[in-house]
Amino acid sequence: MAKTKKPISSVTDSCAGPTPVPKGYNRTEPGIIGMNADQMVAYNIAKSFCNVYPEVFNLPLLAKKLNITAEEAGTRIRRMLAKHEIMLVNNPQVNVSGYGLFYWVVKLKADASPEARAALTKWFQENDQICTGYPMMAGGEFDYFNGNHMRNLDNLISGVLDKFRYRDCIEWVHLCPIRRLIRESHVNQFDCHADFRHYFFPAEQVTKLCRMQKEMDAIDFGIIETLNNYEHPHEMFDVSVLARLSGLDADKMAKDFDYTVEQVRCQVPMIYFNYASLGLKMRFFLVDFFPSTLTDAGEQVIDELASRPEWVNIFDFGDAQHNIILSAYDDLNDMDELRQLIRSHSEVMSIREAVSDHQFRRWTCRLDADSGMWEECVMTDDLFVDRTLEDDFSHIVASREEDTSR
Amino acid sequence: MRIERARPYVVKALHAALNPRSIAVVGASRNPNKVGYQVCKELMDWHFKGEIIPVNPRATEILGLKAYPTLRDIPHPVDLVFVAVPAHLVKSIIEDAVAAKATCAVVATSNFKETGRADLQDEITSYCREHKLPLIGPNLVGLGSPYDSFNCGFIPYLPIPGHVGMISQSGANLLAALGTSQKDHYGMSFFVGLGNKADVDFAEFIEYADEDPHTGCIGIYAEGIDSPEAFEASAKKVHKPIVAIKVGRSKIGVKAAFAHTASENADPDKFFDDLFARAGVIRATTWQEFLDMTLALGMMPPAKGENIVMITNGGGAGLLACDHFERIGYPLKELKDISPELREKIRAYMPSFGSPLNPVDISGTADVVSYEGAFMQAMTDSHTDGVLGAICPTAVTDVPGVAQAAVRVVEATKGLNKPFVMICQGGQECQDAIMYLRDHDIPAYPTAEQAVNAMVALRRYGEIAKSKK
Repeated sequence: MAKTKKPISSVTDSCAGPTPVPKGYNRTEPGIIGMNADQMVAYNIAKSFCNVYPEVFNLPLLAKKLNITAEEAGTRIRRMLAKHEIMLVNNPQVNVSGYGLFYWVVKLKADASPEARAALTKWFQENDQICTGYPMMAGGEFDYFNGNHMRNLDNLISGVLDKFRYRDCIEWVHLCPIRRLIRESHVNQFDCHADFRHYFFPAEQVTKLCRMQKEMDAIDFGIIETLNNYEHPHEMFDVSVLARLSGLDADKMAKDFDYTVEQVRCQVPMIYFNYASLGLKMRFFLVDFFPSTLTDAGEQVIDELASRPEWVNIFDFGDAQHNIILSAYDDLNDMDELRQLIRSHSEVMSIREAVSDHQFRRWTCRLDADSGMWEECVMTDDLFVDRTLEDDFSHIVASREEDTSR
Repeated sequence: MRIERARPYVVKALHAALNPRSIAVVGASRNPNKVGYQVCKELMDWHFKGEIIPVNPRATEILGLKAYPTLRDIPHPVDLVFVAVPAHLVKSIIEDAVAAKATCAVVATSNFKETGRADLQDEITSYCREHKLPLIGPNLVGLGSPYDSFNCGFIPYLPIPGHVGMISQSGANLLAALGTSQKDHYGMSFFVGLGNKADVDFAEFIEYADEDPHTGCIGIYAEGIDSPEAFEASAKKVHKPIVAIKVGRSKIGVKAAFAHTASENADPDKFFDDLFARAGVIRATTWQEFLDMTLALGMMPPAKGENIVMITNGGGAGLLACDHFERIGYPLKELKDISPELREKIRAYMPSFGSPLNPVDISGTADVVSYEGAFMQAMTDSHTDGVLGAICPTAVTDVPGVAQAAVRVVEATKGLNKPFVMICQGGQECQDAIMYLRDHDIPAYPTAEQAVNAMVALRRYGEIAKSKK
């Protein structure tokens, strides 16, 4: 367990890649490439076709690495996609396109009725302006951890938060702007200090998980790991297949794709593992530092914690009630050890814990298969929108009226 | 891509495309905010009579309809494949359409030649031609026909049934025409946005329109004509009037046309004047003129000669019309030079202070009987080639009554094959009369100039039709 804090310089020195690591919302924007730009086309082709043609993925690489045939790799991918165990997703670096990334934590009152909770859960699930979130349906000290991208913070407050936070069942809502997006769904994101876009799922956890259930085996997880831990981004896909399907130039697609991921860092494509499909539960640790904690000391704590592969998600907040949230699978980890790992840092004042059994959306892609909307993707944009002018706060009254079940 | 002549297999396929029994919507979405959802919903909302088949690899059902992962999974061939997915997916979708034995493909997607992807557009087009799958588009707004309640694309309107086959390279102008259709009772037989017209070209739609029983006039909005030889040959071949508006006359318009639908206008505008003249196509200058001409040509037979008689209860409207007839090269003749007998007969329907010249002013006191008598005399006179009626609503004018009289006269004289056009200039009662007349297949307009343009188009087509014999 690492307890010694490295000086900032040594942390910075460990940065991977030829370009400076961007850091949070104050960084220099590396460039703007729209999600539908030509440079993004490789991902878009693969995303559109992967359910029908799994050969968009690099099956030869999988065959070589996992000692299976390409055909078997394709069959397995098709099966995992069909059973909603995995999804090809893309984490866009929304800051590059002019958005802020905002999460919020919701705590319900102790006497909130199951009906009120169900109504709120449904509202979060179906609200396209909420691009991701975790309901803590398995209990805990808070009840939801949701997020969205917005160009204008007032739009989030008026257009989303104000529309539910005055319900009688709500104890508190804490807005947590993302200072650094470090890890999401096992994959290191844009603001990590090392191992950008690396996928972490420790071998011992995978082994344990494979023993716990029969739906997915070690080869399946090997496929996920191989596709995520590509050396160069285009290796995730078979660009010759993408070229055949689209009529576009394979080399150019590969080059553009690598450029957007490695140089511009405006997207991280990844294979998302849907933990809910195997009945896993994810425990979230919402961490507050002592108010006296200096920013750089707090950042060192976060970076040290981020060096551990057990965490599935790591978010660093700025200008918020809380400082970090981390999550790990309840069923696959020694939670006492992880709890102690966090507490071992003297900067940590408190930890709130809650357990989630599923995720609302993987970014904008819906994960609620029951609704018939599995993988429906809605990227909202509040460009030119002023939601503070929408309806004179009548929505606040409306939100109270909706909450009649408590 | 160019064609030398309209291809028979394409013309045949267009019958299925514009009267489809089944439509597969590729890119159909479960999300109401997405285009692919709206396309399916609009088809349903307009009560499309055929089968709607959503195609989406991630959905099993959309709007209560069974969805298929790909076109290849649909158990029977479909008439029309409507593609609303990004450009980089289109090639594969088209291959699926060929494999699924679809009759015709419509690609709404943009981001092809107009943004520099000419190679991709050409590759897909070549593939379609090799496999005889007509491709309409890409980069288009949609197509449809009110006769089958068929409205496919990003189109909020279904036009009222009528006689104009509208072939437009511009989606925006097509939408404008469709909106006009509902608002101003401008009836259409079918409509299509051609977009980049990578494969199916004007020529093939012209020949389809000639075979379509509902179409009386072919209206074309063009930004560029890539295959002028085919256009000319088809236009000469057909037996229905064609009105074209060709834009991009200005220097900056040439550039804008390329950016819009990849239309290249290397030729000077005179090239198109000459092309249309050779092809027997009437060229409209303004959008309003285009609508006015096509409306009249869709409803009325051509004027076989230049003996047009105007009957009005207002001298002002008559003078406006006279001036405009002369301004555009078709001056009215005096009534005595057309038919001295008619001049005498028509006196029975006007007061002593009326004027039996041409325009014939039956005066502001004219009642329905006067109008109906004058109209009937003018239409049945053997020397006249067409009648232009005008209503100016005085305090004693029964505008609806005159409109009904016009309908009775036109109905009674149908066998004479003469055009009848109305001007109704005034307030709401005139607007209502215009709608009523149009609903009864009589071209009616709120201004004299519009009506004159329409009548002159009827005369010009009379000349064109004669030259084709």
